[in-house]
Amino acid sequence: MKNKKSTVLAKQHRAGWIYLAPATLLIAVMSFYPMIQAFIMSLKTGSSANMQWAEPVTYNYTRMFQDKLFIRSVGNTFLYLIIQVPIMLVLAMLLAQLLNNKDLKFKGLFRTCIFLPCATSLVSYSLIFKSMFATNGLVNSVLLNLGLIENNINFIGTTSTARMVIIIALIWRWTGYNMVFYLAGLQGIEYSVYEAAKIDGANGWQTFWRITVPLLKPTIVMTAIMSINGTLQLFDESVNLTSGGPANSTITMSHYIYQNSFGDFVANFGYASALSFVVFIMVAVLSAINLKVGDKRDD
Amino acid sequence: MKRKILAALLASTMVVSLVGCGSGSEEAASTAATEDTAAAEDTAEEEAPAEMSAAAAGENKLTVAAWDANFNIPALEAAAEDYKANVDDTFELEIIEQSQSSDIEDAITLAGSSGDYSTLPDIVLFQDHWIQKYVSDYPDAWQDVDDADVDWDDFGAEKLSYSTINGKHYGFPVDNGTVVFAYRIDVLEECGYTIEDMTGITWDEFIAIGEEVYAKTGKYLLSMDGDGNDLIYMMLQAEGGSQFKDGQPYITENEDLVQVCEKIVEMVQKNVCYLANDWSDYTDQTIIGDMVAGVMNGNWIIPTIEQVSENSGKWEITSMPTLDGGEGYASNGGSSLYVTANCQNPDLAKKFLAYTFGGSTVTYDGALRDGGVITCCISAGQSDVYNEGVAYFNDTPIYAEIVEMGANVPVIEQNDFHYTARTYMAAAIINAVQGADLATELQAAEDNLNFAMGN
Amino acid sequence: MTTKKKTGHSTIQRRLIPTYIFLIIVSLISVFPFYWMVTAATNTTVEVARGKIVFGTHLVENFTNLLAQQNLWGALKNSFLYAGVQTVVALFICSLAGYGFELYHDRYKDRLFSILLLAMMVPQVATMIPLFKMVAKLKLLNTVWAFILPAISTPFLIMMFRQNSRNFPMDIMEAARIDGLSEFKIFFKMYMPVMKATYAAAAVITFMNAWNAYMWPKVVMSDNRAQTMPMLIANLAAGYTVDYGMLMMAVLFCSCPTMIIFFVLQKQFAEGITGAVK
Repeated sequence: MKNKKSTVLAKQHRAGWIYLAPATLLIAVMSFYPMIQAFIMSLKTGSSANMQWAEPVTYNYTRMFQDKLFIRSVGNTFLYLIIQVPIMLVLAMLLAQLLNNKDLKFKGLFRTCIFLPCATSLVSYSLIFKSMFATNGLVNSVLLNLGLIENNINFIGTTSTARMVIIIALIWRWTGYNMVFYLAGLQGIEYSVYEAAKIDGANGWQTFWRITVPLLKPTIVMTAIMSINGTLQLFDESVNLTSGGPANSTITMSHYIYQNSFGDFVANFGYASALSFVVFIMVAVLSAINLKVGDKRDD
Repeated sequence: MKRKILAALLASTMVVSLVGCGSGSEEAASTAATEDTAAAEDTAEEEAPAEMSAAAAGENKLTVAAWDANFNIPALEAAAEDYKANVDDTFELEIIEQSQSSDIEDAITLAGSSGDYSTLPDIVLFQDHWIQKYVSDYPDAWQDVDDADVDWDDFGAEKLSYSTINGKHYGFPVDNGTVVFAYRIDVLEECGYTIEDMTGITWDEFIAIGEEVYAKTGKYLLSMDGDGNDLIYMMLQAEGGSQFKDGQPYITENEDLVQVCEKIVEMVQKNVCYLANDWSDYTDQTIIGDMVAGVMNGNWIIPTIEQVSENSGKWEITSMPTLDGGEGYASNGGSSLYVTANCQNPDLAKKFLAYTFGGSTVTYDGALRDGGVITCCISAGQSDVYNEGVAYFNDTPIYAEIVEMGANVPVIEQNDFHYTARTYMAAAIINAVQGADLATELQAAEDNLNFAMGN
Repeated sequence: MTTKKKTGHSTIQRRLIPTYIFLIIVSLISVFPFYWMVTAATNTTVEVARGKIVFGTHLVENFTNLLAQQNLWGALKNSFLYAGVQTVVALFICSLAGYGFELYHDRYKDRLFSILLLAMMVPQVATMIPLFKMVAKLKLLNTVWAFILPAISTPFLIMMFRQNSRNFPMDIMEAARIDGLSEFKIFFKMYMPVMKATYAAAAVITFMNAWNAYMWPKVVMSDNRAQTMPMLIANLAAGYTVDYGMLMMAVLFCSCPTMIIFFVLQKQFAEGITGAVK
C-alpha cells in the first residue's frame, strides 16, 4: 500500500518535470546557450569569419570605456530611463486609480482608449510620431497657429527636441499597457479593506500609501522591471524615429550594438558581444535592486 | 505501467504534433510565397533562396540579388534579354528583389559571419565602398573574375579602383556614380547668371552667388542629407584628396579637408546649403519639394530631380566647384556585380557578365532607357542613345557628358572604414553648424575614427 | 429618502468632473495619433508632410499605389501565419511549464524557475548573432521556425501562467486523480478550460509581440517573400523617396489586426491579467 502510494507520487513528480522540459530546454538553447557563445565571442577580435582570441582577452571590455559613442549611448539610454519610466509609471498608476472608481461611468471606453496605443507596432508608431513632428508637419503647424512659436522647429534635427520626441512617444505607447496591470491589481484588492481604512479615519492619501501601494507591490515591481528592461533594450524608436541622430545624440545602446554588428560600422562582433554583455549586466543589476526593494513576496 | 506508457505516448505525440505543426506551416509559407511571386510576376522562379543555387547548378540559369525596381533591376533585365537574344536563348536570370541596398549588405555580413554562403545567390549587387572590406573580412565568399573576357581599360579607372583588390578584378561595374552639379537655369538667369558662370568656379564664388540666389528667390543653391558625409567626400575627391592616408585617418592635418568642412559650415550658416535631417527629408522635402535651385550628387539623383515635372527644361548640368576654381570631378554611390562563392557555375556567370556589362551597347542602352542607369564603360557611352538630348535638361545630351566626366574622376585612397568615417564626420559637421568649434569637432571625429579602427 | 439618494449620486458625479475631464484629455491624446494615421492614409504625401488633419480624397490612390509597389497581401499573410503559429505554440509550451512550476512545485523546480527568469534580462541584441548562426546552420532561414524559435518559450509567459495557476483549485485535481484521470488528461481536460481567461490574455500579448516583432525578423527573414508587415513598413520608410500617404495606408493595415484582436478579447484579457497580478 505504502509502496503503491510512493509510485503514484513518483509518477506525479515525473509528470511535473515533463511539463517543464520543453520550455526549459527552449530557454536554455535559445537564451542561455547563445549568451554563453556571445560571451566567448566577446573575448575575441577580428572579422566575424575569422575571429581570434583578443590580446589581452579583456581587450573588448577595457576598450569600451574609451568609446565615446558607447558612453553617449549609455547616457542617452539612462536619460530615457530616468525621465520616462517614472513619469509613465506614475501616470499609469494615477489613471488606474481614477478608473478604479465604482461611480465612474464609461470606464470601459476610457480603458480601451488609453490601452489602444499598445496595439500599434513599434515601427508604426515611430513613423506616426516622425511624421507628426516633421519640420513642416502637424505639431509645428498647430504650434504656429496657436502663436506659441514663430518659426518651424526642426524637432527631429535638434538634439534636445529629438530626445523629447522619443520620450513623449515612449510614454504614449506604454502608459496604457502598465495601467492595465495596475488596474488588474487594484481590482484584486477587496473593497472591504478600504472601508475598514475609512472607518479608521484614514484619508485618501494615507489609504493610497498604506494600503494600495503595499498590496500592489508585486505588480509595481513587475512593471518596473519590465519597463527598465524594455528601456535599456530600446531599439526600434532610435532606429525608425530619429535614426540615432542628429549627430548620434539620440542613439541607444541596442542601436549602437546593432550598428557595430550590421549597419554602417565595420562588423565587429567581438566588440558588439562585449557591449551586449555589459547591457545584460546592467539589466540584471537593476532588476536585482528592484527585486530587493520590492522584496516581500509571499512565496 | 499503463499510465507510464500513456504518459510516454502523450509526450511523444506532443513532440510529433509540434514538429508536424511546424513543418505544416512551413509548407504553407512556401506555398504562400509561391502564389505571391506568381502574382508579382516580375520574378520568374519560385524556389526559396536557400535552394536556388542547387537548382541553378549545371543549368543555364543564374540568380542575382538587386534592390531597386526603378533603377538597377531594369538594367539586369535588359542584360538578361540581351544575352538571351544574342548568345543563348536557354539562358535564365532570376532576379531576387530586395527592398534596399542594406538588405543585401546585411545578408552578406550574416552569411560571412556564420560561414555559410549557401544563403547567397550566384551574383550580388552592392555599393562599391563595401567590397574591399568584404574581401578582407570574408575572403572565401567571393570568386574573382580576373580571367573574364573584358577590356578593363574601357572603364573609368576610379570605378575599377574599388573592385580591384591585390591586382585582381572582383566585380563588374553597373552604374556610374559620377557627380553632377545640376542647376535651375531659370533661377540663375533671374539673378543674372548662366550655367557657364557656374562652371570652373571656386567654392567662395559659389557661396557669393548662393547668397544672392537665396536673397532673391528664397531657394537654396545646394542641399544635402546631413546624416552622412557625402558632401565632404565629394568635395574632397574633387580636390583629389581622401579622408584616409596610408590606411590611417587623415583629418585634422588634411588642409583640404579642413577647408572643405569650413566651406560647408559657412554654406549652411549663410543659407546657401540646406542640411536635411535624413535621406527622405533630402529627396522628398528639398528636391521634390522644390526648395533648391541646385543639386549636387551622384548622377543617380537625376530621376529624383525629374519627378518635378513642371520644371522640365529648366535644368542643366555641369561639373563641381573646387577650392581653387578648377573644374571638379567626383563620384558618389554606384554599385557593381560580384560573383559569390555559392555560384556553382562561375564560368557562365563570368561569360554572362562579360558579354553584357562588359560593354554591350544593347545592355547599356536598355539599362539607360528603362532604368536611367548610366554606364561607366566609355565605349558604350558613345552610342546614339547616349547622345540624344534630354528634354528635362534643356535638350542637352547629359548622358554622354556624364560618361565623359566620369573619365576625369581622380582615384583616391579608399578604406574599409569608409562608413564609420561617414558617421563621425557627419556628426562633426552637424555639431559645428549648431555652433560648436569645428577644429575641436574634427579632432573628436579623428579620435573616434582612430578608436573604431583600433589604433 | 429617494431624493436624498439622488442628490448624493449627482454630487458624486459632480465631484468626478475633474476626473472625467482628465480622462477625456488622456483618451484624446491616446487616440489622436490613430486619427492622424487614418486621415493621413487618405491624403497625398505633400499634404501629410504639411500636417493636414482632415480627410482627403486619395484613399483609393494610396491603396492602389501600395498594392502596386509592395506585396501587401503576402506580408499580411506572413504576419498572420507567423504570429498565429507563435501564439499557439508559445501558449502551449508556456502554460504547460507554468502549470508544472506551480502545481508540482518543489524546491528544485522553484530554483529552476528563478534561473529561467534570468533569461528575461538577456538583451535581444546579445543573442542575435549566435542565434542567427544556429538558425542558418539548421537551414531554417526564411521559415516560420526561424521566426518563432527564440520567442516560443518566454519567462514572462511562464510566470504569467504560474501566477494564474495559483487560482486553480487543487481539490479538483485531487478528485480527478482519485477518479483515475492521468496527469496529462488533468492538464488538457481540467486545467485548460478553467484557465481560459489566462490563455486569452497570454494570446493577446504573444500575438501582439509576434505581430510587431522587427529586429529579429529583419535578420532571419531576409527574403522579400518572407517579409512581415513591420518590415514592409520599415522598407517603405527607408525607400529612396517616401510616399507618406501610402506609408500611412500600410501602417493602418499593420495596426488593424492587433487592434481588432484586442477589442475582441478585451474582457478576457483584463481577467487574465488580474489573475496574474494577484
